[in-house]
Amino acid sequence: MAEFSTTHRENGEVNIIELNGYLDAHTAQHLEIAISDLIVKNKYKVVVNFERLKYISSAGLGVFMAFIETMRSNSGDIKLAAMQPSVYNIFDLLGFPLLYEIFPTETEAVNKFNQ
Amino acid sequence: MQNREFTKLKRNLTALVEFSRVVNSSLDLEFTLNNLLLTCLGKFFTTKGCIILSIQNEMKLLCSKGLSEDMILVFPSLAHIENVEDSKELHDFLLQSKLVYSEKICSPRRCLGLLCLGEKINQQEYSTEEKEFLVTILNIASTAIENAMFINELKEVNRMLDSRVNRLSSLFELGKEFGVLSDESRISKLLVYSLLGHFLLSSYAVVILDGNKLKILESTVPKAPLLEVLSHVNIRSIENVHDRSGIEKNFPNLSKYKFELIIPMQLQGEASGLLLLGKRMNNISYSETDLEFINSVGTLAIISLENKRLFQEALEKQKLEEELEIAKGIQRNLLPKEIPKLENFQISAVSISSKQVGGDYYDIIKTEDGRYFIGIGDVSGKGVPASLLMANLQAFLKSITKQGYDIADSTRIINDLVSENTTDGRFITFFWLLLNDQTKEITYVNAGHNPPLLIRGKKITYLDKGGMLLGVMKTIIPYESETVQLQKDDILVLFTDGVTEAKNRSDNEFSDQKLENILTQKTFSSSDEILEEIKRNIDEFVAGELQSDDITMVTFLVR
Repeated sequence: MAEFSTTHRENGEVNIIELNGYLDAHTAQHLEIAISDLIVKNKYKVVVNFERLKYISSAGLGVFMAFIETMRSNSGDIKLAAMQPSVYNIFDLLGFPLLYEIFPTETEAVNKFNQ
Repeated sequence: MQNREFTKLKRNLTALVEFSRVVNSSLDLEFTLNNLLLTCLGKFFTTKGCIILSIQNEMKLLCSKGLSEDMILVFPSLAHIENVEDSKELHDFLLQSKLVYSEKICSPRRCLGLLCLGEKINQQEYSTEEKEFLVTILNIASTAIENAMFINELKEVNRMLDSRVNRLSSLFELGKEFGVLSDESRISKLLVYSLLGHFLLSSYAVVILDGNKLKILESTVPKAPLLEVLSHVNIRSIENVHDRSGIEKNFPNLSKYKFELIIPMQLQGEASGLLLLGKRMNNISYSETDLEFINSVGTLAIISLENKRLFQEALEKQKLEEELEIAKGIQRNLLPKEIPKLENFQISAVSISSKQVGGDYYDIIKTEDGRYFIGIGDVSGKGVPASLLMANLQAFLKSITKQGYDIADSTRIINDLVSENTTDGRFITFFWLLLNDQTKEITYVNAGHNPPLLIRGKKITYLDKGGMLLGVMKTIIPYESETVQLQKDDILVLFTDGVTEAKNRSDNEFSDQKLENILTQKTFSSSDEILEEIKRNIDEFVAGELQSDDITMVTFLVR
């Protein structure tokens, strides 16, 4: 089975989730748990760092959709950063750039929150 | 003068060569159009212009300068045209935008669209020479534009292919994952994630029928009121996808939820669930291929949910069968291993358990003074609970017969014990007799059991003295007993209702009458023969039909 893991860091008010490996139907649950954990703790400003994510499927994308409204209605957001081109292609293909802010680097995404 | 003309010509040529070099160096449509338009504005001293191209048979305003945002927004929706005069809308639009002159952009193969320009700053008309020059520029640009359009189309096709590939791989991935997931909520969650990812849904609900029970597995709208609305909908009969107007027409109560689509999830041509999907957050409407994909994902999910259900059912069935095996084991162990050889009696017995294992029981207990208690009973219910009560009865019998009470008193005590030990409305019909081999005398009590038959010279006597069946309540009215002196060739048959109620394919019962006919119409030479004859007749009657009740008999022939 493909490996997937997440790590969580904080940068001021912003929570950074780093994704690692393959995010697909099988592993989507891990991400779901990681984001639910933040919501339980009332943390709504999230930057997802995709630097080490090798693959994403639509089920993985669905997880971001499932939580975006909760974040935004609590004056937070999920901002996406540092995607590899193959991963970005999937986001682009399914029309995500219209609804999500996607940044080349994690720093830029964090800065956007701090503006 | 000639010199001025020459300089002008030279400048035009230089501009053309430069323009040709630039536009042909790029396959980017936007860049090419932008360059073309800027060149024209510079050349003809005008501040306004736009390029309208025919893309997939639709006229689109792709590039403009000096037009207000509002003007761009009101550009009319037009099918492919080649002349401004062909469309009043376009003509009006150009008039309003003060675009006074337009020229076709044609490649050697087809007409690509139009370039429109505003008034010249010096208010002069476009001269013939200028018009010719514009045609030349457009001729040069047309190939570049056509190529760039072609590349754009290819990109579009590529993107569509990517999208198809992406969907196929999603289906593949979900099929694989649904297969290994074991619980309903994970399957529905994954289904939702996949749809969310593909369609950026703003709202959704996943509803399934579990048997006839409606269940909402996932929903962005409050579940209880939605369930209430859906409970008035005949889900199984939904065959087609319903869009917004279909929902308003066919399910007006659902329209308040603003779902854009209702898609049945079908199993063998019948809807077993529904997907209710709201509008997409990017405001794109659902296409035919989107519906196909959603349908496929929905079908995958419902098949998977159904498989889980069937698997669960099979597991439970297996458990039940194991339980029945246990019940059969208990029952077998309770029955006497062998039948004692008596001087004046031949005794034979049989108990055939049905598929479901009923609660039939017979027993032979020898007393210390050499007499025999012989009993037959039928515990209500089936399976393990019936077997356990039967085991209880046997334990009571074994101990009571050692106490030396008479049989009527013993029956009272047994009834009281059984009544105390059954809480769930179970009862036992029971008949037993105490047999004296020397005197050929029997004393019996019948506690609500089918009366055994005593046949003497073709005449039947029913052994029906006794009292209430066991286990209903503590004994109030004492049990009666009767003593019967038996004679040589008397036949006694104890049986349970599995004998007379054995059923054939047409659901007819073997009946008391048939049993009595067998016993009165033939002469028998052994108790085995009696037993075999009854069994043979039953077998013939039911003709292989599976029986739902045990069949138990004890036959006696007096010597």
